[in-house]
Amino acid sequence: MKLTSLVATAVLLIGTALLVNTVRAEDAAEARQRMIELGKAHKTAESLYLALKERAHGGRRLAPSSMPDWSGVYTRARGGITFDPDQQRGAPPTAKLTPEFQRKLAERIEMANKGIEWDPISTCSPPGHPRWLTEPFLRDFVVTPDQTYLINEMVNDIRRIYTDGRGHIAKEDRLPLYNGDSIGFWDGDKLVIHTNQLQAGIYQRRNPDYTDQVETVEIWQKVNPRLIEVDVWVYDPPALVEPWYTKQSYAKLDDQNKTLRIRYWHCGENQNNTVVETDGGGTQFRDFTFDGQGSGIGDQGSGGKP
Amino acid sequence: MNTLRGSAVAALLLAAASSAWAHHSATMFEQTRTITVEGVVKEFQWTNPHSWLLVDVTDKNGKVTTWGFEAEGPSTLQRAGIRPSEFKAGTRVTMTGRPMKDGRPAAIWVLAVRGDGKKFDPREGFQVK
Repeated sequence: MKLTSLVATAVLLIGTALLVNTVRAEDAAEARQRMIELGKAHKTAESLYLALKERAHGGRRLAPSSMPDWSGVYTRARGGITFDPDQQRGAPPTAKLTPEFQRKLAERIEMANKGIEWDPISTCSPPGHPRWLTEPFLRDFVVTPDQTYLINEMVNDIRRIYTDGRGHIAKEDRLPLYNGDSIGFWDGDKLVIHTNQLQAGIYQRRNPDYTDQVETVEIWQKVNPRLIEVDVWVYDPPALVEPWYTKQSYAKLDDQNKTLRIRYWHCGENQNNTVVETDGGGTQFRDFTFDGQGSGIGDQGSGGKP
Repeated sequence: MNTLRGSAVAALLLAAASSAWAHHSATMFEQTRTITVEGVVKEFQWTNPHSWLLVDVTDKNGKVTTWGFEAEGPSTLQRAGIRPSEFKAGTRVTMTGRPMKDGRPAAIWVLAVRGDGKKFDPREGFQVK
């Protein structure tokens, strides 16, 4: 009798858990689809941004007393080094690519499968945005009334989001930048960002290319004391047949002993980290200094193909 | 005493090790094979963007080869409980890694087991906790 009761309780609990998880999965899928449709309803990132701003009645200006607490050290919560955290393991990226960029992606993956791969950040070039969203190291976020700093430890990479009401740089004065030019506004506790003036790059290894026409709209929100989520729409007409929507997330790390540090990076700190692009497009180390030649720490090394 | 052997046991570790490798591609390393060596720590190069644990390995003829095991930088290793103070020069250690394809004595650090049995897995530095 007792055993029967236990089994019945267990079945009920497992069934409830499965049901809850199924409902959550359906909710997440529906929410994702709504966001995809929202992006598709606007032909440009600027159009989406302006619509969000209108919906927020222009947004609000933060005051020192009303700033959200984004303090702490964070890291990417999901996705590894894949741009879309919801990409299934082993599946292709979820972006809907134009034929040319689909072909480029297929070639990149084919070469990587053959062991031939070169990452442009190998010599400590900045990853650039939107790839910035994916790097797996430490981050912190500094909110001030007129500007928010989004900081990634990797190569000391800082995005500055101007929330004081300014617009973008005039078109004739623009230039392509690693992290582009970002303006934003606050909609309640959500930070809405529009970024343009970006350089071409890759979303990640084994992920597609983007062009210097790429622009993004992001909505950042701290959804609980340990998690910041970001809705991201990427617009890039030469490469994408429709905006690429992804949900990024950053988890606040335990740091009770206050030992976590965001440290300055430079590829010349240790000569043993010097990698070069081979003639065939692969990656190779230069000579190591393990044995009898000093540590190599602090040496610039003999350089490599940038 | 040097041992250098293929490790089937490391298959599970390999899956974890290949999950992420930031800063540069890891295609210069073997993707499906691991090696294990025993030796003593020569130096821990605690640097960005990658750290290197150098281990002197002595073969049966008494020849010493310095192996380098590459891992992520200090911030990530610290989160895995890996610090220079844990690997002072002279510390005995058994290292499992994915070796270079070109035969040079270097590998991705997959697992270190110190002489006292304590294990150090750099991938734990990417865990969110």
